[in-house]
Amino acid sequence: MAAFSAASELRARGYDGALTLLSPEGLPYDRPPLSKGYLLGSEDAAKIVLAPEDWYAEHGVEVLTERAAALRPSEASVELGNGRTLGADRVLIATGARPRPLAVPGGEAALTLRDRADADALRAALAPGARVVVVGAGLIGAEVTSAAVGFGAEVTLVDPIDPPLVPAVGEALARRLHEMHGEHGVRTVASVPVEIAASDGGACLVRLAGGSAVAADAIVAGIGIVPNSALAADAGIEVDDGVLVDASGATSNPGVFAAGDVSRLRHPDGALARRAEHWEAAVRSGQAAAAGMLGEPAPEFGAPWFWSDRYGAHVEAVGTLDARSAGRIVLREADGLPQAAFLLADDGRLLGAAAVGFPLLIRAARRIMDRGLAPDPAALADPSVPPRKLIH
Amino acid sequence: MSEGIDVGSPDEIEEGTAKVVEPEDSGVDEPIAVFHTESGCFFALNDTCTHEEASLAEGWIEGDTVECPLHSSSFDLRTGKVLCLPATVDEPTHKVTVENGRVVLYPGVPADDAARTAD
Ligand SMILES: Cc1cc2nc3c(=O)[nH]c(=O)nc-3n(C[C@H](O)[C@H](O)[C@H](O)COP(=O)(O)OP(=O)(O)OC[C@H]3O[C@@H](n4cnc5c(N)ncnc54)[C@H](O)[C@@H]3O)c2cc1C
Ligand code: FES
Repeated sequence: MAAFSAASELRARGYDGALTLLSPEGLPYDRPPLSKGYLLGSEDAAKIVLAPEDWYAEHGVEVLTERAAALRPSEASVELGNGRTLGADRVLIATGARPRPLAVPGGEAALTLRDRADADALRAALAPGARVVVVGAGLIGAEVTSAAVGFGAEVTLVDPIDPPLVPAVGEALARRLHEMHGEHGVRTVASVPVEIAASDGGACLVRLAGGSAVAADAIVAGIGIVPNSALAADAGIEVDDGVLVDASGATSNPGVFAAGDVSRLRHPDGALARRAEHWEAAVRSGQAAAAGMLGEPAPEFGAPWFWSDRYGAHVEAVGTLDARSAGRIVLREADGLPQAAFLLADDGRLLGAAAVGFPLLIRAARRIMDRGLAPDPAALADPSVPPRKLIH
Repeated sequence: MSEGIDVGSPDEIEEGTAKVVEPEDSGVDEPIAVFHTESGCFFALNDTCTHEEASLAEGWIEGDTVECPLHSSSFDLRTGKVLCLPATVDEPTHKVTVENGRVVLYPGVPADDAARTAD
């Protein structure tokens, strides 16, 4: 995603030199559908490409189905997996991340989800009646669980935190979202696996902390990602749980930039940000790196945003809902169910908003935040106030 | 198809909102969204986002743009051009006019602006 975003931004900014995109998986595609429409089979591989093949010809972007094996910034070149060397004045590392493996004995039996092949393997495992254990109830784990339910699988969802996602969407919506699993027949267990043992007929036994065990025909782990930063580290570029970059995507090597899930922002004061692991962050950091590669100032972006979907409910959040450090939460509820949560700073400005099923509230919140407005808390909490009216 | 269809009086579509004209009424294959902008102009695009399945009429209408309610791609209401990812494909436009106090939609006839930029 970040590489595609950077390529299109380079052309939008008027760069007209050679541009090569190394994409070992072929035409770049969008990952969010891998746990949604593509996994369910309602969208096929052709539907999820980021842009049709002609786009690359029209924009003068050469796509090579090759891996980068090594960066040689001092020689202005990149060594490819096939042994060829490609000249490059500027290199963007947008290698993404890989799923964190389940580090318990037998954990290699767990499936993970990052690319199309993973989604294909997972779909094959989600047969009606199959006993599926999903480890990790974050965004990916929850989406996979929802898809598995759609296939008629019998799902147990294991996560030590109950409810997960509180910093992302606030306590009330986190609880509401987590309860959806039970409403759809999923058994949620607040625990962690300690061992995966083989059992009869190819099935497994997932032993949990506390002593219980769950039989599983398939195990899926959605417990976070690890940045693919080896290329950078091998080239002597600074890495600390991600390739360290500034706001323009510049790494510690002047010819090399990084963007997307593999990158980690270092603020001007040296503080390291949390790695952003969402789609929009990949798009924005790709655009910023494009500016950086051209020696232009990085664009200014508003608060970060993400979406997720489960059981047909569309979840969105912008900014932060983490009330541990500052601010107070204002809830919008109707019929006893929370629709949205807003985090207000002490001075009345909006720090973040999350909603389940009300995307225009988030679009309003985004504009309120971008403009630094102090919204009326009573209007935020009132489900009869339409989103557009929150701005004035 | 070039015959106009009556979508209603201008104040039936509140400013900053849109009305969907279904295929059975328009005679074209796709639902069409007729937008009434805050500055009082009318525009029409295919209603379904070119990215996935979402109704642009339910999006955020601001200035001469609409932002998709699902993943936030924006489209230029005058030209149908997609302004940001994740969508990469433009929306077809349809001509809308206000004639004798009625909003008239010409399904399948590109808007003048779109026709001009296409030259
Ligand atoms: C299943 C799933 C669902 C998601 N759903 C959502 C969602 O609903 N909302 C949301 O906001 N975000 C979602 N995300 C997150 C979002 O998709 C990622 O943040 C985004 O894809 C990151 O983009 P990227 O370019 O950094 O990495 P990627 O998209 O992973 O791209 C990295 C690319 O680099 C390639 N690569 C790796 N090593 C090399 C090498 N040595 N040489 C050449 N190429 C290499 C890989 O093959 C890959 O194609 C989801 C992610 C996944 C996996
Ligand atoms: S459906 Fe409109 S942006 Fe995705």
